Amino acid sequence: MSAKPTDTTDAAAGVFLILVAVFFGWQTTGLETGTSLRMGPGYFPMVLSALLLIMGVLVLVKSFKGQGERIGRIAWRGLIFILPAPIFFGLTVRGLGFVPSLFVTTLIASQASVRMKPLPALVLAVLVTVLSTLVFSYALGLPFRRFGPWLPF
Amino acid sequence: MPGAYAEFLGGNMAMKRILGALCAATVLSSAAFAEGYPERTITMVVPFAAGGPTDTVARLVAEKMSTDLGQQIVVENVGGAGGTLGAGNVAKAEADGYTILLHHIGMATSATLYRNLPYDPLGFEYVGLVTEVPMVMVARKDFPAADFPAFVEYVKGNADKVTMANAGIGAASHLCGMLFQSAIDTQFVTVPYKGTGPAMTDLLGGQVDFMCDQTTNTTQQITGGTIKAYAATTPERLAIFPDLPTVAEGGLPQMEVSIWHGIYAPHGTPAEATGRLSTALQFALADPGVTKAMADLGTAPSPAADATPAALKTKLETEIARWKPVIEAAGVYAD
Amino acid sequence: MDLLSNLALGFSVASSFENLFFCLIGVLLGTLIGVLPGIGATATIAMLLPITFQLEPVSSLIMLAGIYYGAQYGGSTTAILINMPGESSSAVTAIDGYQMARKGRAGIALATAAIGSFFAGTVSTFLVAIFAPPLTIIALKFGAAEYFSLMVLGLVMSIALAHGSILKALAMVVLGLLLGMVGTDVYTGTPRFIMGVREFSDGLNFVALAVGVFGIAEILRNLEDEHDREMVTNQVGSLWPRREDFRAMIGPILRGTGIGSILGILPGGGAILAAFASYTLEKKVSKNPKEFGHGAIAGVAGPESANNAGAQTSFIPLLTLGIPANPVMALMIGAMIIQGIVPGPNVATDQPRLFWGIIASMWIGNLMLVVLNLPLIGLWVKLLKVPYYILFPIIMAMCSIGVYSVSSNTFDLYAVAFFGLLGYAMTKLRFEPAPLLLGFVLGPLLEENLRRAMILSRGDPSTFVSRPISLTLLLMSLGVLVLVFLPAIRKSRDEVFIESEG
Repeated sequence: MSAKPTDTTDAAAGVFLILVAVFFGWQTTGLETGTSLRMGPGYFPMVLSALLLIMGVLVLVKSFKGQGERIGRIAWRGLIFILPAPIFFGLTVRGLGFVPSLFVTTLIASQASVRMKPLPALVLAVLVTVLSTLVFSYALGLPFRRFGPWLPF
Repeated sequence: MPGAYAEFLGGNMAMKRILGALCAATVLSSAAFAEGYPERTITMVVPFAAGGPTDTVARLVAEKMSTDLGQQIVVENVGGAGGTLGAGNVAKAEADGYTILLHHIGMATSATLYRNLPYDPLGFEYVGLVTEVPMVMVARKDFPAADFPAFVEYVKGNADKVTMANAGIGAASHLCGMLFQSAIDTQFVTVPYKGTGPAMTDLLGGQVDFMCDQTTNTTQQITGGTIKAYAATTPERLAIFPDLPTVAEGGLPQMEVSIWHGIYAPHGTPAEATGRLSTALQFALADPGVTKAMADLGTAPSPAADATPAALKTKLETEIARWKPVIEAAGVYAD
Repeated sequence: MDLLSNLALGFSVASSFENLFFCLIGVLLGTLIGVLPGIGATATIAMLLPITFQLEPVSSLIMLAGIYYGAQYGGSTTAILINMPGESSSAVTAIDGYQMARKGRAGIALATAAIGSFFAGTVSTFLVAIFAPPLTIIALKFGAAEYFSLMVLGLVMSIALAHGSILKALAMVVLGLLLGMVGTDVYTGTPRFIMGVREFSDGLNFVALAVGVFGIAEILRNLEDEHDREMVTNQVGSLWPRREDFRAMIGPILRGTGIGSILGILPGGGAILAAFASYTLEKKVSKNPKEFGHGAIAGVAGPESANNAGAQTSFIPLLTLGIPANPVMALMIGAMIIQGIVPGPNVATDQPRLFWGIIASMWIGNLMLVVLNLPLIGLWVKLLKVPYYILFPIIMAMCSIGVYSVSSNTFDLYAVAFFGLLGYAMTKLRFEPAPLLLGFVLGPLLEENLRRAMILSRGDPSTFVSRPISLTLLLMSLGVLVLVFLPAIRKSRDEVFIESEG
């Protein structure tokens, strides 16, 4: 066994599992474990956290032996634009209302690709917004405010 | 009252504060109210999932209220945390009469069950009571006791063997169960489920012994003979089961309970709006279709005198006071 | 014979012009909404429920049932085309269906799903008609101990979902179980792992999790190498299954139908297992299990049939007991009550027109779906020719609407973003999302039933082996474990946890 993991992806995977297990284990500490008749809310999570920890250690140990693909390139631009899209929708759908919120959400998501030029992005966002409003708000009658209280009209 | 309004913003996010300030501003600017109300669609928030018993009640009355108001009432389901999420949303909504809340007895019990509610359960404007759904004590169909007194005796005598199901903390069946335990002063094992469905399945299959639940959930099973009914939790006998005694007849008047439903509006909603909604509610409750649908569920619309802001206010206050000691004695909290 | 006259009554009700019309509208709406990414059957019904309130009781229930299986068809389509499952059942279809699509076999995958679903739907409709009352008795025999053992069996089978390291797949199951614990503890009301966010006190939203770890992770993966090569514009191969494809799907469809029909009857989680169980079985009986996870036709045919059969038989507890087997059935009960029909053990005798009408309409609906969907395959496949950079902003918009519409909870949207990140991190670390999803779905059921069984047995763990059904299920779990690990033990020590790395 060498001093450095030969399978870096699995080494990272092992560390990831250990961190998650520690997090859940730490969150479990405040919960009662109870008795076997009345198992407390902490019983099951405690057992699971311990299991996950063991598995994390095993994955980490094995990473010193096997060979595997490297992690490879990370889609930074994708992460920066895709993930905020639903968050923006969540923050504004009540305040701005369905129509403007969805429009901006689509616009944000569309920027995740380098191939998307500004004009097609605008056209796409308009189309998505108009069609969704027709389908969800008018045809299906979902209880969304089309324009919310943050807007002056 | 923007100041009082801001108190409801229990959330820690700056966004919520901004939203609140904007809402408050809107309320102030729309002083010239009354005349045309309602001018647009009203949203009725139901703090439970679509299709559930509370949602059903809401949709029944919302449709008829729309007829009277001349504007559509849309039901929005904001389920979660025993109804406190939806109620919290309404507490923060604009107090313009266009967002209202239909909630059941949980409005009163959550005041004690949840120790850190982000809103004040008594801080709403009132529209009126909608219906009071009775409950029935039911048991698996081969449960030994013949009548309600025998049932109570059996439970007391076999406290270490019997099991009582409920549909989860804060559910109607849980509340009734707590009342029963305190009424007969006996501790037995309670088995919580996630909702009435699984609890009823286990009762049908004889996996648990008994349960106390709303007629909405029990009536069809009782008439189908798949479970046994022992007593109704109402002061009077139920119209659908005239042979079923009441808990008071069985010697436990302190077990009287019903799952009452009320309509509320955010704090600061003009009295003109709540008054108008109250009239619409009375109109809906007088509708024969609504009466018939409620009768099928084993309940009845609240009389016009109860479908008023004052009656609901009194109900909520007395019920909060009533449940506080019961819940504290049981020592169960939902957070 | 009673059954024949009942079925005749059913078909006469279901084939009235009005009911045929509403059945068609139902399956159409269901397919269309279900096909939108991130929106599955539950969300679709919740969304469309109010529309049905204005109709006659029979028509409205026929329409709702149509929406339900229509949405399931639609959901599988999205799972296959863009790896975006809207329900736990289509998550299984996504595993091999999406790989088929990437290899230019999207049309065949879609056709397989449609044919399998139709066959399963036909068989299970007749099962419902003939055996509904006796099957109900089985459902009632399932107590907490039996459900616990069933869930154990489900978890054991989840190992087969892995096509990489078994150890890492198990870790994902455990992580899924932990994520399933998030929310309020049923027994004590204690909030767990909610980090002070009250909006999560009823647990994490399944759709948010599935959309995040499957769909968004996949979008991000596709955005990785935009600079070097063409975006993954999927090639589009032949639309129709060839003779050998048909031969490959017959067995899985038959077995899937059987598994799905049985598991669907169990209220409270049986149907969830159907697709997973079928996948496991197919992988076990297959001559080349290495194909699984890389576009095996049996990996689509089996689970799709199981899932549809389970969907039909889950109507049994609803129709005979008035008890909902899943959230969709709960919505149906709500719809019935609004229509003035309180579902219960008497529906079949009190409302024969309704009862048999719905059963007959299930078959008609399935027929409509297959007729509708086979020609649509060409259209769906063309969708893959749309450049990806145009497709994914639309997907993100639809996901946002879909997730939000379930319970108007904005925190579910934040969860989508979080799980997108988690899912992407997982793909980078070569973890698979399917076992995670299974763990997430089964976790609460496993814990709830374990604790309930212990309460009911007064703390005596022998309840799991003294009850015959529970014992049988546990022995089956043991059998599966032996089957999985026996070949592994024979292999050299290094390979123990690595099965067909690829």
